[in-house]
Amino acid sequence: MKLNRLILGTIIGAQFAFSAFAADDATTNSTEAGEIEDLKQEVQKLERKVLDLENQHQAAQQATANSDSGQIQDLDQKVRILERQREIDQDAAATTAKTQPKIVLGANGFGFSSADSNFVATIHGLVQLDSRSFSTDGKILGNDGFILRRARPILSGTVFHDFDYQFTPDFGGSTVQIQDAYLNYHYDSELQLEAGKFKSPVGLEQLQSDPATSFNERSLATDLVPNRDLGVELHGDLFSGALSYAAGIFDGSPDYNGTTTNADYDNNTAFEGRIFAQPWKNSSLAALQGLGFGLGGSYEVDRAATNTLTGLTPGYTTDGQQKFFTYGSGVFANGTHWRISPQAYYYYGPLSLLGEYVVSDQSVTKGAVTADLQNTAWEISAGWVLTGEAASYAGITPLHPFDLRKNQWGAWQVVGRYSDLDVDKNAFPTFASLSTSASAAHEWAAGINWYLNKNVRVNASFSHTQFVDGKTGLVTAQPENVLFTRLQLAF
Amino acid sequence: MKTFLKILLVLSLAVSADAKEVKLLNVSYDPTRELYTEYNAAFAKYWKAKTGDDVTVSQSHGGSGKQAQSVIAGLEADVVTLALSYDIDAISQQAKILPANWQTRLPNNSTPYTSTIVFLVRKGNPKGIKDWDDLVKKDVTVVVPNPKTSGGARWAYLAAYAYALETYGHDDAKAKDFITKLYKNVPILDSGARGSTITFAQRGIGDVLLAWENEAHLALKEFGDDKFEIVTPPLSILAEPPVAVVDKNAKRHGTTEVATAYLNYLYSDEGQKIAAKNFYRPRNEAIAAKYAANFPQLKLVTVDQEFGGWTKAQQTHFADGGVFDQIYQP
Repeated sequence: MKLNRLILGTIIGAQFAFSAFAADDATTNSTEAGEIEDLKQEVQKLERKVLDLENQHQAAQQATANSDSGQIQDLDQKVRILERQREIDQDAAATTAKTQPKIVLGANGFGFSSADSNFVATIHGLVQLDSRSFSTDGKILGNDGFILRRARPILSGTVFHDFDYQFTPDFGGSTVQIQDAYLNYHYDSELQLEAGKFKSPVGLEQLQSDPATSFNERSLATDLVPNRDLGVELHGDLFSGALSYAAGIFDGSPDYNGTTTNADYDNNTAFEGRIFAQPWKNSSLAALQGLGFGLGGSYEVDRAATNTLTGLTPGYTTDGQQKFFTYGSGVFANGTHWRISPQAYYYYGPLSLLGEYVVSDQSVTKGAVTADLQNTAWEISAGWVLTGEAASYAGITPLHPFDLRKNQWGAWQVVGRYSDLDVDKNAFPTFASLSTSASAAHEWAAGINWYLNKNVRVNASFSHTQFVDGKTGLVTAQPENVLFTRLQLAF
Repeated sequence: MKTFLKILLVLSLAVSADAKEVKLLNVSYDPTRELYTEYNAAFAKYWKAKTGDDVTVSQSHGGSGKQAQSVIAGLEADVVTLALSYDIDAISQQAKILPANWQTRLPNNSTPYTSTIVFLVRKGNPKGIKDWDDLVKKDVTVVVPNPKTSGGARWAYLAAYAYALETYGHDDAKAKDFITKLYKNVPILDSGARGSTITFAQRGIGDVLLAWENEAHLALKEFGDDKFEIVTPPLSILAEPPVAVVDKNAKRHGTTEVATAYLNYLYSDEGQKIAAKNFYRPRNEAIAAKYAANFPQLKLVTVDQEFGGWTKAQQTHFADGGVFDQIYQP
């Protein structure tokens, strides 16, 4: 462009110079005028050519620019399409993931679940390795040592969204038992119908899950409540859990029966139920949120005379699982058997308190003599989590699970308990013998629990039980002093 | 025990005497969100005045085909309001939770409102798109959802196919060639109509969106008529989105009465007005006349006329191995 302008300027300059020389020769004016005109036309031609060249150049530049813009737009669209496709693919992947079955492995067990959680199968486990060391026990053989207290693989889950199930065999102790085998129709949390073998809805301590109890063994009060039983129960939690209810019909179970059966021993049915309130559970009153109280009870008519089974407790046992009371031979249940158990607990921060009172009233017969015996028991236990975690009926979860590398030591809790069981004085001597049974037991215990993490726990506790009317040669001859330890795995 | 049962009975009678709180789940297709948000509020008010009961209607939206599959898989819809009858037929046939004659239970083949497929283009219509044949030009990029999952996409596909049949004297080979060229201009397939609107309007992809008429109007409202404009082609398809009570679900939930009333109310004057306000063509002629300005006149062909009904159209075009699978290469 600049070159073109230079050429044009030179030609115009030459034209003026030529004109100056030509002015001296007047005779040649007409010729010069013609030449000037020619030159002007040449200049105009050159100007047009320059203009054309400029236009062509601009057009070429515009075409290049248009082409670039089009390519940029095309590229922009392609990038946008790729980005959008990526979004769509991610959405599709997320949608697909929602339809895929899920596998969960964690502190709460090992489980499989359909994508919509309508079908769930979970494997849990509970293993408790205990040791019991008796002192001043009159050298009774065989009661010191290790014991596999519980060894339970637990299969639980849900089918078709609303039907929960659980199957719990127990390989611990000396007898393999089915602890739980039930189906629970779960309409919602407020209305559920459970059928099969499961814990009877009476005793507060008995209903606490085995891995969560404060001590290795439950208290004397639990001796008077029914254990697991076969039956059908309607239950649920109302008002967001502020009120729980359970009521059902069962085969009927003797006072605490460590070895449960899978069949009834008579033709009669037991009615059992419990109502438990936590009025401030959902309130803002933190100090009262963990307060709960309730009432459990049972009623049945035992007619065990037609069967070789007596329908009576196989025996009340101490913390050390030694029997201190049994009915005499020839005694059997023969009439009404009712229980009532007011109960309460209180959890606030690291503090835990749990107590219950139980009356077990049962008609018994021996020969022609019938009596209505009323045995009573109660307990109160307390705990304090030294490391500050919140205590609860469901157990304790350490804030800092045990890890030496991180200098973390889990949760530590101290616990104490007092419990008492009194056998009806009228049981003696007709229905039980003071030569083989004590008439009452009073127990205190203290211990420390170390929760390494949510799954592993180590306990150590000492228990002291005194007997009334103990006899020489029996476990009741002297107070029972037992040092317990436990290594527990629960998941 | 007897006393306990008596107390339970008295309590339940006392509770039943009070106003009930009823919950419904309406499983619908993608572009009906706004329609049913407004309609549900109106129906709740109507039902409260009529019965004293409080009704809450939950909405679920997605591609019509996907929504139907969700109901078949167990999504507990009390009512379905889907994009096309084939999807409700599929629920009836596969899940057997509503009878085969469901479409006869409400007026107008259980279709309380209709719609059609129009073009949403960028402001000024830079590509000069006026009719279906403009969509097959090489420099035109078309946005439309996947007809495998979206009811609206199936309507759009059939509208284009119907145009080709009408244009080429019902020469199916030429129509197939036309639809092949059109889908060559489709770079991306969303699973539902709302997704395609996002692709076109928010992500800035493409020159034209094949959209439900109501979806196109909603896009103008949401994004501004300074950005887009609607082009109504001379010919399109009469889209008839049907509704139905899912009998077994409603019976199990105890909602049959309210679910039926919910759908019947769509035919009421208020229901029809709400449909028209949301750019669905109302069945009620008086109300349609009142909102005529929203609905340009055009030739509307039907699936029955052009394709022999939905079952045949589905098998021919959208089933695995059908025409769409043959012509579309992602």
